[in-house]
Amino acid sequence: MENYGLFLGCNIPFKAPDIEQSFRKALPALGIGLEDLEGASCCPAWGTAPSFDKPTWCAVSGRNITLAEDRGIDLVTGCNSCYGILSEAKHFMDAHPELKKKANELLAHAGREYKGTSEIYHVSQVLHEMVGPEKIKQNIKYDLEGLKVAVQPGCHQLWPSDAYKIKEDNPYEPTQLRELAEALGASAPHYSRLSSCCGMGGMRTADVEKSLGLFAEKMRSIIEELDPDIIVTTCSSCFLQFDMSQPILQERGLIPKSVPVFYYTQLLALAMGFDPKEVAAISKTPREDIIKEIQSEKRLVKEVA
Amino acid sequence: MAIQLSKDKIDEAINTIIEYGGDGIQRCVQCGACSSVCPGVQAGFPVLCRLLIKKLQDGLLEDIIEEQSSWGCQNCNRCTEVCPQGVRPQEVVIAFRRYQANELAFSTSTVSAQMQLHDIGHAVFTEAGELREGVGLPGKAPTSAYNEKAQEEIQAILDNSPMAELGLF
Repeated sequence: MENYGLFLGCNIPFKAPDIEQSFRKALPALGIGLEDLEGASCCPAWGTAPSFDKPTWCAVSGRNITLAEDRGIDLVTGCNSCYGILSEAKHFMDAHPELKKKANELLAHAGREYKGTSEIYHVSQVLHEMVGPEKIKQNIKYDLEGLKVAVQPGCHQLWPSDAYKIKEDNPYEPTQLRELAEALGASAPHYSRLSSCCGMGGMRTADVEKSLGLFAEKMRSIIEELDPDIIVTTCSSCFLQFDMSQPILQERGLIPKSVPVFYYTQLLALAMGFDPKEVAAISKTPREDIIKEIQSEKRLVKEVA
Repeated sequence: MAIQLSKDKIDEAINTIIEYGGDGIQRCVQCGACSSVCPGVQAGFPVLCRLLIKKLQDGLLEDIIEEQSSWGCQNCNRCTEVCPQGVRPQEVVIAFRRYQANELAFSTSTVSAQMQLHDIGHAVFTEAGELREGVGLPGKAPTSAYNEKAQEEIQAILDNSPMAELGLF
């Protein structure tokens, strides 16, 4: 079993710990060991240190990366913002010795040194590249055949591709998450705004109405073009936007219906037979009915233990 | 009224943006590819990407210090990917944001995030013990939020950084 340092960030452990539990249940069952990075902090989020001083950003990110370096392992995160921030900090420090030196001068106050020996991965990349759709297919207990999924990969997993170890062939037409959804037996068709922003993040903090406007456009595209049974994402920020803002759009009459939303590993864990009370327990947009449908007797894949 | 360009103001603006990490501003030819893919522009933030860079190239640095569009940037880097000149427009936008932040030209609601980052290492934090235990996890996540040594390390970094000089924590 290959081990990775699990970087939790802020959203997942404090707002959506059922996503964290879905990592801890599903990944080891697929041969991916997870080690806690004790004392890891905020990545730091775009609105904090990166908005004030680049070396300070790189030092705080660098400290988090050293926690994996100390263990001699790579780092995996399920938060797109963390993935983008940590990857860019590493990219900039590795490419610019002067920046690395400045960051390490700050890190010296904490008794640490960033070396650059650990890679940064996203959970979805580990599932797509290191586990692979075939192995996922072999390990599911419930088949999602006949269910239609709209995918939302999220911005910070796609751009800037020069900062990322694993890239999509075309970041404007991403396919990895579609393939992961299809590995569960579902269909995951393309739709016109697949790679569009959901409006979460700094935009929602700066102007919630502009953020909701962008999100409403995306939701209308999803419903009109696909009318899916499920929305699935691999970004915890996107998950929060889709989950908490659909009821607002519905109340305003801006979308005709809501669509249940899952983080991908939640859908995976449900398909693998894990307890919904642990891996998919927290949501504002209702999803109880589709969870029952996913884990129904008729979907049981008999030949899989 | 026509903008009166001043070489001193242009130099000051360009040098400030370079100092804060946006050196690509020197390579921008105003093609507008960045704005064509920018969700912030699409959402209606009026001074982002191409137009923000144009104003900075014209030396309008202090003139737009209160402009809030930069804080609507998602830092998604679609602009970086598409830019044919290697400007990394997001780096220019965030360099302008750093200029604003260091002049304290930002929303006061941002301050609490900086204080939380300094005190417990998390910009976003809510006590989630019950929520976590409800899904079968230990109430305390294995992060800096519950780790005194980690908090001391983060404070040692931030207390020695330029952020400390702003009196935010």
